[in-house]
Amino acid sequence: MALYDEENNKLSIKLVYYGPAQSGKTTNLMRLHDILRTDLKGEIMLMETANDRTLFFDLLPLGFKAPSGLLIKFKLYTVPGQVVHDSTRKAVLSRADGVVFVADSQRTQSVNNGESFANLEDNAARVGIDFDRLPLVVQFNKRDLANILSEDEVMERWRAAPWPITFSSALEGQGVVETFNALLPQVYDRLDGEFGFQQTHGLSRDDFVRQSTGQTAVDGIA
Amino acid sequence: MPNNFDRELTLKDLLLGIDSHRLLTDLQGLLDAPVAILDSQGICLVGEPLASESTASLALVVELESIGKITADAPVPRLQAATDLVTLLLRINARYLMASDLHMQTQQADFDELQRRHIALEKSEQRYKALAETLEQRVKQQVKTIESAQIKLYESEKLASVGRLAAGVAHEINNPIGFIRSNLSTASSYLESLNKIDALVESGASAAELRTVWHAEDMAFLQKDLRDILDESINGTDRIAAIVRDLKGFSRINEEVDENADINQIIRQVCNVAAAEIRGKAEVLLDLGEIPLLHCHPGELGQVFLSLLMNGVDAMSSVGKIQFRTRLKEDRIHIDVRDNGCGMPESVLTHIYDPFFTTKEVGKGMGLGLTVCLNIIKAHDGGMEIKSKPNQGTLVSIILPVKAVPSC
Repeated sequence: MALYDEENNKLSIKLVYYGPAQSGKTTNLMRLHDILRTDLKGEIMLMETANDRTLFFDLLPLGFKAPSGLLIKFKLYTVPGQVVHDSTRKAVLSRADGVVFVADSQRTQSVNNGESFANLEDNAARVGIDFDRLPLVVQFNKRDLANILSEDEVMERWRAAPWPITFSSALEGQGVVETFNALLPQVYDRLDGEFGFQQTHGLSRDDFVRQSTGQTAVDGIA
Repeated sequence: MPNNFDRELTLKDLLLGIDSHRLLTDLQGLLDAPVAILDSQGICLVGEPLASESTASLALVVELESIGKITADAPVPRLQAATDLVTLLLRINARYLMASDLHMQTQQADFDELQRRHIALEKSEQRYKALAETLEQRVKQQVKTIESAQIKLYESEKLASVGRLAAGVAHEINNPIGFIRSNLSTASSYLESLNKIDALVESGASAAELRTVWHAEDMAFLQKDLRDILDESINGTDRIAAIVRDLKGFSRINEEVDENADINQIIRQVCNVAAAEIRGKAEVLLDLGEIPLLHCHPGELGQVFLSLLMNGVDAMSSVGKIQFRTRLKEDRIHIDVRDNGCGMPESVLTHIYDPFFTTKEVGKGMGLGLTVCLNIIKAHDGGMEIKSKPNQGTLVSIILPVKAVPSC
């Protein structure tokens, strides 16, 4: 749950990149760090082992100021995807305000995607997150590889799902901002009631999305 | 409780584990001036607060926002370099702090989970222990309940067969009672003749007078007839006594004492008791061989033979034959009950031992006859087999082992 710090007039919003091992969660964060032009963009904190596997988490801080002067601070985390790190995944997921589920588009990974998604659902319940109301985007990554599920196949399989589906090639920087963009309006809607973005801080949903990614109205899609 | 790894870290948190004296010395060495590090509230965490006019200060930013500042009496470019260096240090410390807090947090969560499971396990272990302790007692209670229910079933089946016999037995007893009553009335009327002769004897009548009256009262016939009717009455009471004795064999179902009994005798008694029921429907043939006494429960076996006899009778559409045959073979008593009645098709044969299965009309049995028979035979360590063919008849073969008779 987003944390409001009255003393420093700051709202911390926690977004978590979840998914099976080596589906490209850390790569998503690295590309966002490269591409986004958010007013405040911190350094990315990576915690990788020698063979590029995330051990605890990665962290990318982003932020901007609302017209009221409120600092809106995003903390983008990744979870370790390996099955054995479940306790860590649970702790990182705890109090999340939104989740990007990074699925691996390769045909051979369908089972892993399914198990990881079920694990997300289980862990959300364990840490007290109402999964039905959780802002969520499902991203099918690695579109640059051969032997992947076609977009039609993915859409057919996820037809009944209520969440936005995006396609990306994080390695090439394709689709990562679009994915982030698909999550932001949901996060705005979920938190607006409690923190009064529009009423108290003069921040509309469009401005919230634009400023989060650093687009100006002229820029269009980043 | 361990700290949340993702909490907002203050400057004070990030300086943890860094030797502040050494940091201060190194910074002053680099900048060649007094240095102070203050947090966002303006509290001095490293060095002494500086009040000089020429003091420059730069913000410390680890994530996005300023969490404090460095102040020094030094040119800004050198102060900037020092600030970058300190920021680098703080970021590395942040990385370490977050990782260690997360580690603590997951360790604690895993430990809590382990303890929760341990407690749950202990609880379930206790439940099983308690269950095991009461289980034996509950099994005993159940066995008792089942036994008493079974005894009730035996009794009701017994009552059903006895009820069926009652009318016949009443007739058997009523017959002799009728003629004994009639004989006693006749005997009582003979007393009047004796009284007349007695009066003459008392009055001192002559022998001639007495003889006249003796002939007049036909005392010769009276003497002979009295002998006949008394003999007939004694026979009658003997018949009643026999019926009552045979019946008693069936009234002892609840006695739990086994005794040495003659199977042939039990079969005879059963046939006697059921005589009225059999009459006009079947002819009973007894082929009873030499067999030893059997240590058994005679009342129960009597019930078995009665059930089989009644089944035979009920199988007759016209007057048929029912044969009891007993033989001893290799320390086993073989009892065959054969009838030439209607027999049973395969579809009925497969159900004959099912409780409450019956082909008889309402009122002729509860469908427990053969169930109870089988249980009784099994209780005597014996076996029972039934062969039957429609329109040819049925053969029931019972085998009972001859047990060593207890000497006491």
